[in-house]
Amino acid sequence: MTKRAGDIELVKVSKRYSGAAAVDDVSIAIEAGEFVTVLGPSGCGKSTLLRMVSGFVEPDEGDVRIGGASVTGLPPYRRDTAMVFQDYALFPHRTVAQNIAFGLRMRRMEKSQIARKVDAMLELLNLAGFGNRRIGEISGGQAQRVALGRALVVEPAVLLLDEPLGALDLKLRKQMQAELKGIHRKLKLTFIAVTHDQEEALNLSDRIAVMNAGRIEQFADPETIYNRPASRFVADFVGEANLFDATVIGPGMAQLVGDGSTVALSGDGLPPPGSRLTLAVRPEAIAVAATGKGVAAIIEDILFSGSVRRIVGRLANGQRVTAMQPAAAFTPALGQSAVFAWTAEAAWIIRP
Amino acid sequence: MSATALKFRQASAGSAAFIAYSALIYLFLYLPIVVIVLFAFDAKPVPGLPLAGFTTGWFAQASADPVLVGALLTSTKLAFFSAALATALAMPAAMVLAWFPTRFKSLILCLVLGPVVLPQLVLGLGFVSLLRGAPNLVGEPAIVLAHTTMTASYATMVLYSRLLGFRRSYIEAAMNLGANELTVFREVILPLTLPALIAVFLLAFTDAFGEFIVAWFVAGFTKTLPIVIWTSLRQVISPKVNAISTIIILASLALSVLAQLWVIRQARPSARVGA
Amino acid sequence: MERISGGSPTILPSQRRRRRFALAGLAPLVLWQLVFFVVPLLILLVISFWTMRNYRLEPGFSLENYRAVFADPALWRSLVLSLETAFFVTLACALLGYPVAYFIAKKAGRFRIVLLIAVIAPFWISIVMRISAWRILLGENGVINQALISLGLTSEPLGGLLYSPVSTAIGLVYAYLPLYVLPLYAAIDRIQDSWIDAAKDLNAGPVRAFLEVTLPLSLPGLVVGAVFCFIFGLGEFVTPALLGGGKQLLIAQIIQDEFQRRQDWPGGAAIAMVLLAIVFTLLLLSMRYLRIASGERP
Ligand SMILES: Nc1ncnc2c1ncn2[C@@H]1O[C@H](COP(=O)(O)OP(=O)(O)O)[C@@H](O)[C@H]1O
Ligand SMILES: [Mg+2]
Repeated sequence: MTKRAGDIELVKVSKRYSGAAAVDDVSIAIEAGEFVTVLGPSGCGKSTLLRMVSGFVEPDEGDVRIGGASVTGLPPYRRDTAMVFQDYALFPHRTVAQNIAFGLRMRRMEKSQIARKVDAMLELLNLAGFGNRRIGEISGGQAQRVALGRALVVEPAVLLLDEPLGALDLKLRKQMQAELKGIHRKLKLTFIAVTHDQEEALNLSDRIAVMNAGRIEQFADPETIYNRPASRFVADFVGEANLFDATVIGPGMAQLVGDGSTVALSGDGLPPPGSRLTLAVRPEAIAVAATGKGVAAIIEDILFSGSVRRIVGRLANGQRVTAMQPAAAFTPALGQSAVFAWTAEAAWIIRP
Repeated sequence: MSATALKFRQASAGSAAFIAYSALIYLFLYLPIVVIVLFAFDAKPVPGLPLAGFTTGWFAQASADPVLVGALLTSTKLAFFSAALATALAMPAAMVLAWFPTRFKSLILCLVLGPVVLPQLVLGLGFVSLLRGAPNLVGEPAIVLAHTTMTASYATMVLYSRLLGFRRSYIEAAMNLGANELTVFREVILPLTLPALIAVFLLAFTDAFGEFIVAWFVAGFTKTLPIVIWTSLRQVISPKVNAISTIIILASLALSVLAQLWVIRQARPSARVGA
Repeated sequence: MERISGGSPTILPSQRRRRRFALAGLAPLVLWQLVFFVVPLLILLVISFWTMRNYRLEPGFSLENYRAVFADPALWRSLVLSLETAFFVTLACALLGYPVAYFIAKKAGRFRIVLLIAVIAPFWISIVMRISAWRILLGENGVINQALISLGLTSEPLGGLLYSPVSTAIGLVYAYLPLYVLPLYAAIDRIQDSWIDAAKDLNAGPVRAFLEVTLPLSLPGLVVGAVFCFIFGLGEFVTPALLGGGKQLLIAQIIQDEFQRRQDWPGGAAIAMVLLAIVFTLLLLSMRYLRIASGERP
């Protein structure tokens, strides 16, 4: 099988800092041209993973391969990667154009060619006319684009982005997400981005690697990550989920632990009766009614947010359950008992 | 794997070179100090190798020498006055420079910083010329005046840069709660800047204590410790001088380390206020 | 009370009251420096135009002293020698100090503060004590010679160690190295690691990354350290007097000689003014870097 330059493979890589694993036995294969985000809470090892690809961190164990060839042990300046740093790391003593030209100069490109490429990049990033500005004289959004341009202009096999939009305000972040996606579509490079913002990950990526405590919990496309989470952590971290521990009591039937309510399960190959499993149910898949089939709960809280209404109840076992309903639907009263119900298809089964 | 090991070895070889080089520089910086301390405890009457044996006799002799002890006391007294005066002049000026929009700020900063960049010899001669108009100040008063001029300069600069980083919201909060300027100074500014003030005082004291050249020009018949040592340098260096130098050096090191620790700690934004 | 306007640096309520506070705070220091710093310099300046007759100062306005300064080849020689010495000392301090400053700022980890203070501390020890130590080390029967002989590296003591330009240079480098490391450290400390990482990421090797990022960004520290080192080296008197042996006089020694031995105050004052002119020219030329190093934006 031939590898393209943008193929990335991490094989059983680990990195420990004073005993604690920042990255723990991670294996992942990313295909050329993919936009992959590594998503996880702060401190879970995302940056460390990214810096292993760029060469700033050497794995204690395992192998990093770019384009099929092992780059483990190669310094950053010998790798065909370019990084957009979390704080941009724009050189303060250089202008915008000089910053973008830096990587080209390091590659000993001809002066006239550098000028042409820099101009084209400024154009692509809507920065035409800003080339002679100093780094202190541009806005946060522009700085972000300069950092992007400086990395892109060297036409790396892989572009690495460490929380690229983290420093921007919400509106700018949305706009830059669209631009980033557009640029990826145009250039067809491998992009690996790191973020702790699940919405950003869902918007941007072809595939998402959800990371927790140094391990990758799931690596799949956004649809699958959202609808078919592989673990409790993924279900909880990506979007909002009600997680119920349950015991299988018969074909297509389970009983919530400590509650006694029975719920329906769908799908084949269910574990035999007596097995424990976890059900993940998205709040928007839950309907609340005064009576009927479902799980009974005492209403604790009702929050209005525009067209939807969040209804929080407490089950007999003390667990909270959240439903998201159109504002027009039935509204229970606080302190009253109500029934929370969902279809068998809406309950995603996570095996322990 | 071997590539990793190799890179690691290169990196640590680089660090080892850095450490070795820096160790040599530190050796250079502390060699003279070690020498003085070493010969203060050596029995040989003329300092030199090989060592003749351990003794504390030079310390006893030094403390029995009225000239040395007198000079030590004089220097301590004069340095104390200079440092106190310099700190008192510097603090209000630094507060104004740091917190008030001041006209002619650069001019004032130049005026304040001037004595630092001026060759000390020229300052000394300037003082000699000035003292022609006030000959009865020659001696102890002149030394205090000169040293105050020199140390007030950087006392102001150190306090100024310290106060620039001072969270102004503390003052505003206090005023908002109804405190007047004096109360704010006593209750907020002074407690928070006290370590910096003490540090500045210690540095000024250490500097005034050891200053030689300007003192030498304006001393008249006053003998400060540096002047006495300078005089003794014209002959063979007596281990008595090494003994008293040892005490002074260790004291200066302790004071300046303490002071620097405060100044540097406070310059770091992450540091606890008033730590 | 007036409202405190947001964003302005105002901290006191009223304009007039504020001005009174500013005046009261600044006046003592400013007056002090005028009387004990500016006035002495003005007196020296005035004296430099006077003449000396029968060991008495005679007021007047004569450029004779300055003419004499520029006409005297011996004076020129010591001025050039002083400039050379100061230049050499500056260069040596820069080369010796840079790696140490870099080490402390970037590699020392949690020992940073301790190591920084350890560099500066010797600077606070009295100059006469430091120099007496170097005399013990460098003398003909000094520690270094005796150590070299007992190691068999030389059979006879090296005579040229003390009372030579070498010993003056060693003394001066020793005196000003701490002074140079401090601004260098401050400048290098301000260089973010991610800037260096970014350069390497864009294919700059370690040497290239140093030349493109670290060196230019530490330039303010280099310049500021150099200016102070050079200025202080130029005006130094004690070190050359006690370690240099007096065969070749530096400019500061000549000035002192004019004043104290030859009692020619106007002549000495004129040389001192020339020295001051050099010092202030240097300061003016480096003002831009002084301001950057003191934290202002470039
Ligand atoms: N250079 C380092 N030295 C010591 N610990 C580190 C270093 N870099 C990262 N760590 C630790 O490794 C863990 C993962 O860090 P990081 O990869 O930066 O997380 P993230 O980017 O996901 O927030 C953290 O606990 C962090 O403290
Ligand atoms: Mg991170």
